[in-house]
Amino acid sequence: MTVLKEVVAELIGMFIAEKRLTTAVLAVVTVAGCLANFTDLDPLVGGSVMLIGCLVLLIESVWRSARADAA
Amino acid sequence: MTWSTVAPVISAAFLASLVEAVEAFTIVLAVATLRGWRPAAIGTIGGLAVLAGTILLLGPVLDPVPVASLQLAIGILLLLFGMGWLRKASLRLAGVIPLHDEEAAFAAETAQLDQQAQRRQQNLQWVAGITALKAVLLEGLEVVFIVIAVGAGRGLLMPASLGALAACALVLVIGAVVHRPLSRVPENLLKFGVGVMLSAFGVFWTGEGLGIAWPGQDFALLLFATLFLAAGLSGASLARRVSAEVVL
Repeated sequence: MTVLKEVVAELIGMFIAEKRLTTAVLAVVTVAGCLANFTDLDPLVGGSVMLIGCLVLLIESVWRSARADAA
Repeated sequence: MTWSTVAPVISAAFLASLVEAVEAFTIVLAVATLRGWRPAAIGTIGGLAVLAGTILLLGPVLDPVPVASLQLAIGILLLLFGMGWLRKASLRLAGVIPLHDEEAAFAAETAQLDQQAQRRQQNLQWVAGITALKAVLLEGLEVVFIVIAVGAGRGLLMPASLGALAACALVLVIGAVVHRPLSRVPENLLKFGVGVMLSAFGVFWTGEGLGIAWPGQDFALLLFATLFLAAGLSGASLARRVSAEVVL
């Protein structure tokens, strides 16, 4: 049972390294999906939003963690 | 199937599996050093059997799923997984969190098994076997996910599996020869590289799943990887600056 619990915890931990980053990435993907599928814009606009959003979120997450560690 | 399609899949599976195999090997080696090779081998084989069963179960489940849905689901999971690795590797590169140390992990695992031996509360061979099984299972799950994630979207499960198997075989052979934790493997560098590749795959698959046709098709992966590399390095540089400001 302990092994099973650890496996489940490992599986969850694989995708939720940091709750805020995970939530933000999911939000960006949702926005990109809406732009690509439910607007008249070129789908590439949605793709660009997702790509740039993820890059910005990554830098922000690393920077924020460093600040929290330094505080 | 062109080389430009297959090469990123094989290299991502190989490098990611290399990191996981090194971590699992450290724990199996600790078990073998303290309790002998029998429980270590039985635990390892048990872990591999559970993983093989998982793959055999997952394969038929994934088959009927429409490609676009599969790409979207796998892409999002890859994004979360890859960016998590890249974030951690950037923080380690900046010195904000310590590097993963295989020698320290080996010492910690050995001490834990030693403590259990002193308490004599449980069957030691059993505990040692379960420890090895857990290590192989937990690290192996990540390998299975990566293989499925980078391979399933385009029917490239076989090349991805071969990449992963090659990495595991390499660690096993080197480990058997040197017979000590593989602490000289540049783990953070590998994690950084794999995080970059998985994040790039994540954006690519998620986009395809959402119906976005990337210009240049597979070559877009190269652009994404370059941008994630730059973002990871920029994040590490910013984090280092934040740490330096506090010291001053």
